[in-house]
Amino acid sequence: MTGEGSVGKPIPPEDTVRKVTGTALYTYDWDLPGTLHAKLVTSTVPHARVVSINLDRAKAVPGVVAVLTGKDMPFRVGMYAGDRDLLAVEKVRWAGHPVALVVAEGPEAAERASELVDVEYESLPAVFDPVRAMGADAPIIHERMEEYKHASVFYPVPGTNMANRFRLVHGDVEKGFEQSDEIIEDEFRISHVSHGYLETQNVVAQAFRDGTFEIWTSAQSPFIVRQIVSEALKVPYNRVTIRVPFVGGGFGGKAGLQWEALVALASKAVGYRPVKLVLSRKENFASSASREGVVANVKAGFTRDGKCVAYKVRFVLDAGAYADYTVNVSRAMGYSAEGVYEVPNVHCESLAVYTNKIPTTAMRGFGYAESNWVLEQVFERAAKKLGMDSAKIRRVNLLRPGESHTATGEKVREDVGDPRKVLQTVLEAIDWEGKAEPASQPWKVRARGFALCVKGPSQPPNASSSAIVKFNEDSTIDLVLGTGNFGQGTTTAISQIVADQFGVPVERVRVDPTRDTGKSAYTWQTVGSRGLFTDGVAAMRACDDAKDQILDLASQVMRLPKSELEVADDAVKAKGRPWLTIPLRDLVFGYVYPNGNTVGGPVIGRGHFTSSLNTFLDPQTGQGVPTIFHTFGGTAVDIELDLVTGAIEVLKAVQVFDVGKAINPLLLKMQLDGGFIMGMSIALFEKIKFDEQGWVTNPNFTSYYIARMKDVPKDFEARYVETPQFDGPMGARGIGEMSMISVASAISNAVFRTVGVKLNNLPMNPEEVWRAISEQKPELLAKAMESFGRIEAAVKARQ
Amino acid sequence: MSFGSPYVTLPDFTYHRPKSLDEVLALLKEHGDEAKLMGGGVGLIAFMKERLMSPTHVIDVKEVAELGQVRQVPGEGLRIGAAVSIAELLEGGDLKTEQAVLREALARVADPMIRRRATLVGNLCEAIPWVDSPPALMALDASVEVAGPEGRRSLLVSDFIRGPVDIDLGPNEMVTEVVVPESKGRRSAFEKFTGGSEFSLASVAVSVSNGGKKRAAKLVYGAVNSTPVRCPEAERLIEDGLSPTKVRRAAETASEKVECLDDVLATASYRKHLIKVITTQVLWRMM
Amino acid sequence: MREITVRVNGRLSRRTIKDNELLLDFLRDRLEVRSVKAACWRGECGLCTVKLDSHLVKSCLVLAVEADGKEVKTVEGISPEGELSPIQKAFVSHGAAQCGFCTPAWVLATHELLQEKPHPTQADLVEATSGLVCRCGTYNQIREAVAEVSGTTARPRHMKESLARA
Ligand SMILES: Cc1cc2nc3c(=O)[nH]c(=O)nc-3n(C[C@H](O)[C@H](O)[C@H](O)COP(=O)(O)OP(=O)(O)OC[C@H]3O[C@@H](n4cnc5c(N)ncnc54)[C@H](O)[C@@H]3O)c2cc1C
Ligand code: FES
Ligand code: FES
Repeated sequence: MTGEGSVGKPIPPEDTVRKVTGTALYTYDWDLPGTLHAKLVTSTVPHARVVSINLDRAKAVPGVVAVLTGKDMPFRVGMYAGDRDLLAVEKVRWAGHPVALVVAEGPEAAERASELVDVEYESLPAVFDPVRAMGADAPIIHERMEEYKHASVFYPVPGTNMANRFRLVHGDVEKGFEQSDEIIEDEFRISHVSHGYLETQNVVAQAFRDGTFEIWTSAQSPFIVRQIVSEALKVPYNRVTIRVPFVGGGFGGKAGLQWEALVALASKAVGYRPVKLVLSRKENFASSASREGVVANVKAGFTRDGKCVAYKVRFVLDAGAYADYTVNVSRAMGYSAEGVYEVPNVHCESLAVYTNKIPTTAMRGFGYAESNWVLEQVFERAAKKLGMDSAKIRRVNLLRPGESHTATGEKVREDVGDPRKVLQTVLEAIDWEGKAEPASQPWKVRARGFALCVKGPSQPPNASSSAIVKFNEDSTIDLVLGTGNFGQGTTTAISQIVADQFGVPVERVRVDPTRDTGKSAYTWQTVGSRGLFTDGVAAMRACDDAKDQILDLASQVMRLPKSELEVADDAVKAKGRPWLTIPLRDLVFGYVYPNGNTVGGPVIGRGHFTSSLNTFLDPQTGQGVPTIFHTFGGTAVDIELDLVTGAIEVLKAVQVFDVGKAINPLLLKMQLDGGFIMGMSIALFEKIKFDEQGWVTNPNFTSYYIARMKDVPKDFEARYVETPQFDGPMGARGIGEMSMISVASAISNAVFRTVGVKLNNLPMNPEEVWRAISEQKPELLAKAMESFGRIEAAVKARQ
Repeated sequence: MSFGSPYVTLPDFTYHRPKSLDEVLALLKEHGDEAKLMGGGVGLIAFMKERLMSPTHVIDVKEVAELGQVRQVPGEGLRIGAAVSIAELLEGGDLKTEQAVLREALARVADPMIRRRATLVGNLCEAIPWVDSPPALMALDASVEVAGPEGRRSLLVSDFIRGPVDIDLGPNEMVTEVVVPESKGRRSAFEKFTGGSEFSLASVAVSVSNGGKKRAAKLVYGAVNSTPVRCPEAERLIEDGLSPTKVRRAAETASEKVECLDDVLATASYRKHLIKVITTQVLWRMM
Repeated sequence: MREITVRVNGRLSRRTIKDNELLLDFLRDRLEVRSVKAACWRGECGLCTVKLDSHLVKSCLVLAVEADGKEVKTVEGISPEGELSPIQKAFVSHGAAQCGFCTPAWVLATHELLQEKPHPTQADLVEATSGLVCRCGTYNQIREAVAEVSGTTARPRHMKESLARA
């Protein structure tokens, strides 16, 4: 290809125009003629046998068409753990567990009737703390775990509450401790977090008498939804069509099954009318899945020169009542434990444990954000203990591409990225060596800190993607992908790549904004920041396939060997003789000779991607190759800590990632800023709170606070490193999730480095920080309180 | 308290939009227990979605002319009608230096869209522990004018709020106005801390008046307990003027004496600390 | 049941509604104005923002009957037929929409702010949008978009200055 391509240009996502004009339609906006509305009835108790459900009063409400209960669907579904019911069967496992579904002629009647379903419960002992839930005397939440259809890479322990026990053993950790000069040991806790996607979970489904189902859903992974629904309803995959219009955010929370199977069954039960279920925000908090809570116990050993020689950690995940996706989070948390560092001796146990709380699932960061929070603080503390600069201790331990092995024993390839350059860039961007700015008030502290991270998509080895490049009559291209688009811009980036393969302007390539399992190209899921990489490679191969067809035809028409031809600048050209050329327009729908004879036809290229490098992990030691790439990165912050209130304000955010190739700097910047803001919000504010019965007590956005405009840093700085990945699309790697992983760690490291206060609990909300300061450094707080009054007086006096 | 709503539709009710106070009172007389008044509806609609309230009649007072006024009545004070939205009240410029505490409290209520709808009277009558107007009104010795079938009565805001979501108001009664008494030379201010929440974790309203011989100070804390709480011990410390030492002692005393509760937003011990912080802040500002 | 007449984006609509109907549902379900979204249904997220006569309100907290005889404007009503308004264009070029679910509300709110104050300060912007959330975290891009339209000097750094290859 010659001339300037579109790869590397900051092209705005095409579908933004629809979004700013209000014409982008979401499942929430979807209606079919005659749609009925559904409403959940949820459990009021945390753990109980369902003795009886009386539907008489509910059914008597005018407009009610049907009420379904677990009896109508006595089976389990799931993707990894297979532990879920659609509606409670026999017993409820958390306060908020759906027990019935009312279907009525409109939301009002459905809500009215849902208040009138009478359920009789027989209480069972409940357990809310994951560590307690592992105890021998804890009530068992899933008695028949051995019957569940677990994917083979997970290790449930029937007879306990452990849904998965992941182990990683690398070297000999006890020997490592013997060699250590300093030991860091501590316990960390991470609260449950809500994905907070603004479009709540919702589904419209219709069953048809021909045995097919059509389902509209706000989902990240239509093909996985289809798989689970088909298996649950026992219908062939091609009888179920999952359609995904615009999606109002997912962040992992819409990756697995949501309510699709339930609503599809409801449609059948009401005589094949379409049924719509829209969760209220409270239901989304209390009856759906969020990010798990974690208790982590860590012990790390360092030698005097800063080398980490032993890292032992146990993660206990509060998986809640259902751990279908969280078993895989526990696995990822485990194998990501040692992050960007090469540690010779690692011992890690990561347990997903059932409790009588809300179910949990995947979330942006997928275990890596949680393990990073522990690891990066351990390194910061070690630096302080050893009297070493925070940057130096990292340099000593950083993975060396081409030489090092990760804790899972994977050799780090030369082309995976340049962690050293990332670190260096982070330090430059935050002016690490420079003098810190003074705080705005004497009771405040200005602090800088950073953290590094790495992440790859956590997917089964056989997860695959495909793409179709379809030429139209006017030589525009319909690029058919499966990967979803809820703000990441992946499809725009892949369009740019495809445009450059043919040397055409990017406007000539279009990806339909909606997905449809019957029409879209297959992709396993839109998760793990895999889309650009996996679907991008598939698209490039589809381009190759299309080009091959075009060159075959051109060779025939031009009477030149194929090897002497190339596709460039929207045409086929003879190499070295650019005047011998045919525009693509004249080839992609067949070539018409002057007399009307036509050869060839519509060009459709197809390609796929399946990684041949991934392996299962060894059940005993966790050794193997779990991901298809690693994106290295780091976050630095300049913060102001108010010692008096405990409030942290981020003044500057620095994000640096080795993206391989910046396909579209605008999209990259959107992800880096957006990821920072989400990471910061989770770091500083977000915590799902529970009462003593496991009820979510803050299922709303006033007391579950999400960062607003006023909370974001004034200054955002993003930089990227480009170490091309040889098997990535034009050298690129994924970035979507990575951008939020090291944010919390950077903030806590800034605090620890500057005032020596350890922040072991997420979120670091004002109360938490205040408590930590007053417990660990009461003199610091006292001094701050002292100055708190005085300066205001001084300011006043000056006025 | 208000924990979120599983429902998104409202219970059935008949909507009334009376134009005069007499009409409102007649409706209240007729529907009594089954009716709820609506000012801005911000609280009422949320409560109805949660089914904490399921009135069969909703009486919207926004178009009652008599209630839509802010009047400066010589010798009495400022009378603020029940239909006046917070935004209108702020824009009207009637809250002067003397009522700074109320102005400061209202200016930071929620956001401009909610302030456009919500009324001062509604904010007061909602009486959830976290709202900001009750402590401010108490610091100003404000009272409410209540109208009902038995005529009118007037009572202090401090007596009007009996508990969380519990006000001294009969089923056929309504609040027509809030009255902020005149007090020449009074100075007042408001402070709150909301870190990581939309609502106050703790708020303080203070007023110091030196009208006549008797000097008086009020320190009222919001959001820390189920109703706003005064701290007489700390008030006494600042009655005769402020000094750095007095500020410190008042802040410490309030922190020690004011009883605080744990709730979904904060623990009692943090609130005690916040009381010290916001008291210091607000009093320094007044020095 | 009663009949109300509302002018929505310039078009007069008359409908029979129930007294307990919310303006949000009236707009979405009866008039099919689907740019108006909801994420909390209780005043916390701002996605249901519409202009009612001369002020922005959260339509999940307004009864439909209250809009009787009034004028409602949504994002569909801010740009001349077929064209994007300056703030819409700036949202596009700055990448101020990710999932886009919140975007109509933000466009409307910033458009109205710019009508009222053509050169808003950062503080004005923060205050005017304090009732809105964006979970995808497009705040920095929205700031840039508003800065571009208003031509304010105290504008945040544009992507070109704050993104660099190391
Ligand atoms: C996102 C969000 C953020 C918020 N942040 C804050 C904040 O920072 N600070 C704060 O103080 N508040 C805050 N609030 C609460 C809000 O300010 C109140 O809900 C509002 O002020 C209530 O006023 P209203 O006029 O809408 O009352 P309404 O909803 O109309 O009424 C509230 C209650 O008072 C009764 N009532 C109304 N008028 C009368 C009358 N004349 N006589 C007798 N009873 C009457 C009603 O029947 C109802 O029970 C917030 C709310 C939301 C949704
Ligand atoms: S839906 Fe109205 S503010 Fe959230
Ligand atoms: S763009 Fe997704 S919530 Fe704002």
